[in-house]
Amino acid sequence: MDETATTRRIRADKRRASALAVVLAVQALAAVFFIADVGQDLLLGGVTPHSLLEAIVAAALVIGTAFGALQMRQILIRIRQAETAMSIASGALFELIQARFQDWRLTPSEAEVAMFTLKGLDIADIAQVRGAAQGTVRAQMTKVYAKAKVSGRGQLTSLFIEDLLIASNGRGSAVREEI
Amino acid sequence: MGEPTQGDDGRVWDPLVRLTHWTIALAVVVNGFLIDGDALAHVWIGYTALGLLALRLLWGLIGPDNARFASFPISLSGAARHVAGLTRGEHREYPSHNPLGALMVYALWAMLLLVSVTGVMLDGEPFPEHESAYSQHNDNEEEEDHEGTEVIENMHEVSANLLLLLAVLHVGGVVLESRFSRRNLVRPMIFGDKS
Repeated sequence: MDETATTRRIRADKRRASALAVVLAVQALAAVFFIADVGQDLLLGGVTPHSLLEAIVAAALVIGTAFGALQMRQILIRIRQAETAMSIASGALFELIQARFQDWRLTPSEAEVAMFTLKGLDIADIAQVRGAAQGTVRAQMTKVYAKAKVSGRGQLTSLFIEDLLIASNGRGSAVREEI
Repeated sequence: MGEPTQGDDGRVWDPLVRLTHWTIALAVVVNGFLIDGDALAHVWIGYTALGLLALRLLWGLIGPDNARFASFPISLSGAARHVAGLTRGEHREYPSHNPLGALMVYALWAMLLLVSVTGVMLDGEPFPEHESAYSQHNDNEEEEDHEGTEVIENMHEVSANLLLLLAVLHVGGVVLESRFSRRNLVRPMIFGDKS
């Protein structure tokens, strides 16, 4: 599948989360060793400037680990949200396309050709995929454009983008009103 | 055609859960079977396991939903229902550990905590500069309070054996659960995603 900006960002976040997990593990180890050392020093030597400083370092390490863990949770939540948003968006677009195809009363093969067109395949590609003659595909696309009342591929695509922009309230509709 | 769907049931283990799981598993196997209890490396690996356990427990409080204690509570009735469902061939998805697995998780953690705490108690000084100093120090301690050390030593050994037994049961449980539910439970723990 194509690498979009969103999937790239999700991948980068996943790498970041993995790296952070390793850093957190090292921090936790350091914290445990430090706490054991400080405990030993305090038991044997009592409170000295040295052991006090070590205790502060140990506490800082524990706090740092906790904050690192919180940050990691934020990254994981962001990954989850991006993935959910993407699947909702692609699901919504798909439903919208299906509904329009039904409105226009496209035949099953016209709908398939129209879907390939929206995905960016040209006539030769579609003919090859469907095992049909290019002339047949061209005729089917002409019918699709006629039923959708558009002049060509560009207008067909923009119909759906327009729908999505209207559906999303806020900026999308604001732009439309200005026009 | 169609985009690869992901996160349908949210059953994904995050990197920290996976990392602590496998490193602790490695530490338990190495310390339990491969390294002699008197070796300095045994002490260091023990401390490492304790640190990783502490991190996982912290994660159980502030981590994402399916890593939190709240998403896999201790429930005997839930575990019994889960077993009954499995034998009837029912398939149920849980956002986190299944109720039976959750019992095992807590048992393993409790035992690991007991093993590492008794281990720390046995070892008065965790940071000897040299191995010779370490064994020398051990000899001294045995002379000092022989009885108390022996009790803790026995506890350490018994709980370590119990931990290994639980680990074997855990592996067996994962195999059986995978078989019954026809899902690969190991894959998400390695790669994070579901099979």
